[in-house]
Amino acid sequence: MESESASLNNNKHKKVVIIGAGPAGLTAAYELSKEGLRSVVLEKDSVVGGISRTVNYKGYRFDIGGHRFFTKVRVVEDMWEEIMGDDFLERKRLSRIYYKNTFFYYPFRLPNALWGLGIGNSIMIVLSYIKSQLFPFKPEDTFDKWVSNRFGKRLYGLFFKTYTEKVWGIPCEEISAEWAAQRIKGLSLLEALKNALIQERPSNKDRVVKTLIDSFHYPRLGPGMMWEKVSDTVTSENSEVILNADVEIIYTGSGKVDKIDVLVEGKIQEIEGSEFISSMPIRELIQKLEPKPPKEVSHAADMLKYRDFLTVSLIINKKDVFPDNWIYIHDPRVKMGRIQNFKNWSPDMVPDQEKTCLGLEYFCFEGDGLWTMSDRDLINLARKELEIMGLVDAREIEDGSVVRMPKAYPVYDSTYLDAVNIIRDFLSQFRNLQLVGRNGMHKYNNQDHSMLTAMLAVKNILGGNYDLWKVNADQEYHEEVLGDKSIEPKDYKELSKTQPLVPVAVAQGEGGVEQTIISVFAGIDKLALALSVGAVSGGAIFIATILLILKGGSVVGPNLLLLNQYFIGYSVSIEGAFIGLGYSFLWGFIFGWLFAYLRNLLTGFYVYRVKKSAELSSFRDFIDYI
Amino acid sequence: MTKTRSDEEKLLQAVAFLNAKVLGLILGILLGLVIFIATNWLLIKGPQVSESGRQIVGPHLQLLSQFFIGYKVSFSGSIIGFLYGFAIGTISGSLIGWLYNRIVNIRHRL
Ligand SMILES: Cc1cc2nc3c(=O)[nH]c(=O)nc-3n(C[C@H](O)[C@H](O)[C@H](O)COP(=O)(O)OP(=O)(O)OC[C@H]3O[C@@H](n4cnc5c(N)ncnc54)[C@H](O)[C@@H]3O)c2cc1C
Repeated sequence: MESESASLNNNKHKKVVIIGAGPAGLTAAYELSKEGLRSVVLEKDSVVGGISRTVNYKGYRFDIGGHRFFTKVRVVEDMWEEIMGDDFLERKRLSRIYYKNTFFYYPFRLPNALWGLGIGNSIMIVLSYIKSQLFPFKPEDTFDKWVSNRFGKRLYGLFFKTYTEKVWGIPCEEISAEWAAQRIKGLSLLEALKNALIQERPSNKDRVVKTLIDSFHYPRLGPGMMWEKVSDTVTSENSEVILNADVEIIYTGSGKVDKIDVLVEGKIQEIEGSEFISSMPIRELIQKLEPKPPKEVSHAADMLKYRDFLTVSLIINKKDVFPDNWIYIHDPRVKMGRIQNFKNWSPDMVPDQEKTCLGLEYFCFEGDGLWTMSDRDLINLARKELEIMGLVDAREIEDGSVVRMPKAYPVYDSTYLDAVNIIRDFLSQFRNLQLVGRNGMHKYNNQDHSMLTAMLAVKNILGGNYDLWKVNADQEYHEEVLGDKSIEPKDYKELSKTQPLVPVAVAQGEGGVEQTIISVFAGIDKLALALSVGAVSGGAIFIATILLILKGGSVVGPNLLLLNQYFIGYSVSIEGAFIGLGYSFLWGFIFGWLFAYLRNLLTGFYVYRVKKSAELSSFRDFIDYI
Repeated sequence: MTKTRSDEEKLLQAVAFLNAKVLGLILGILLGLVIFIATNWLLIKGPQVSESGRQIVGPHLQLLSQFFIGYKVSFSGSIIGFLYGFAIGTISGSLIGWLYNRIVNIRHRL
């Protein structure tokens, strides 16, 4: 008890400096304040929320890309609910793909897709799918081949190619297949088999299974509302959130970070602390270290690349433009990648219900043609593109604004992983510095993972020993969670396996089911079955023959003798008993082997089908993650 | 370093064991039922005329009595046949299961 309170007192003297007031930085501050620890959050922008902010333009609110709140991590969900209370809306999802003047529901609905594509196209898609199954591309090393092998080249061309290339700005032939394969990496074959076996049992019907794909949570006034509330909470608890505070220099001494120089309103301020958490992009962090890191580390930082993003928001003088939350634009005629209709995320995102606020999203690189276009030209481009697609009459567009978000996406290219490892290695010497968040760790994370890294960082400050790099960024969100809240979401268990400490109790009893499934689908040993069936049937004929010999009589076993029509050389005699044993063993052997072979083949086919369909269903919302 | 096996690996490497008792029971019931039904089927079909002009029921199935002492093609015989079939099926099935498991144990050194 004494040592516990001593460590608590020790912690109370800690002053934590947090770089960035995005979801990760603010979550860290929030968790610290819950533990009674003071922190200072330094944010270079004039608003909180980072990429998850909500911009307010003349009362019309819009996100930097619509931000769905959905997670399988209980502690994150709990924090969201704690902060938002009744303002945390549950929204139904409706999204479609726009392609050649046609809308396709996404995730796909078969009748709608077939109708939209037309009979000829649908037949071609089926044929190209069959071809891909019979003659898949080998080696399956690029994204285009990976997707074509699963969906057929034609479907890939229609629904994956254009959008992926718009988002990442590189041809699909140059994207590694690994990126798509990540989607199914966490897929558990045993889980899929269990679902396939248990699915149709009526006793399970009452278990409400809701998919994370069909609905999501959203703060009434956008994600910014969440982060503004968190910021207000931490500042009311003796911590500070300093806006317009650009971290300029990070001073490191022997084995730790000593202090930070921050530029606030044109003046440099010195911020000291005992612990440091950074959610700023790793590349910048390395550039701002003093003394400068070795060349190799600076070079690694320079190798990290980002994809940037801009949103043109348009105010439309029309009550209903389209019913979707968002629409993916696969049409190659226009540059925009996605359109958000923020009123459909939450009605309170617009001040006037007679009007609509659309967010047109463009993916770009800082400094390229789109990025450097004037706001006015961008608004005109957006207007023109909406007209090309026939979505909005340009005369109904009243006003617009532009928000540019640099470093929206950390790029996973062929060099990033080595670069991150070099940087991690170097930074590990500073024992009071922890990296968290999306760009803070160069991980393609959603809010929940960014937040989780921050939560674990706080636990480390309090004496824990968590490896933040093991927080799985490739987790799939689309999987089903049971409505029953008492059941721990599956992936959090997966996550906890990689951690030295487990923050939340793990549900029991999984191992038994796993074992049963393995034994149900385990292969029969062909040779063993062949030998045993052979031995038993050989033995049966042998014993039957001997029995008849023992019985004796004028003609011994005339009927069993008929066997010699098949077993040439067989007779009801001692010698014949051995010949019969041999024949019968042979036939039993063949029968047993064939039985085992066919049973294994059919079971294997069943397992393959279950695996394929689980893979496909995990791909159901792939475009959401591009 | 121990590497945790993936689900696929676990499944691919797993070898099924047979439950010898269950296999015996299944084969026993099946063989018993086959004899019981076959006997009663012949009874329902009724007698047929032999070469010597006698009316006989199921002359071929009757041959089972060479092994199953007391068996005949009659209703009570069908019950005796069921019991014999059940016994032989159970023994054979259990034997197959037992042998199979022994061989698997040897082959996979469990
Ligand atoms: C288009 C798009 C759509 C998305 N949709 C979703 C979604 O639907 N659901 C979801 O959960 N997530 C979504 N995300 C991801 C989500 O935005 C991020 O996971 C989350 O914002 C990451 O939080 P963070 O705190 O790690 O980083 P950030 O949000 O990037 O915050 C980092 C903060 O650090 C500050 N900073 C940087 N440099 C300095 C410096 N030198 N000094 C001081 N401060 C600095 C930045 O200004 C920023 O405020 C989406 C992202 C994008 C781009």
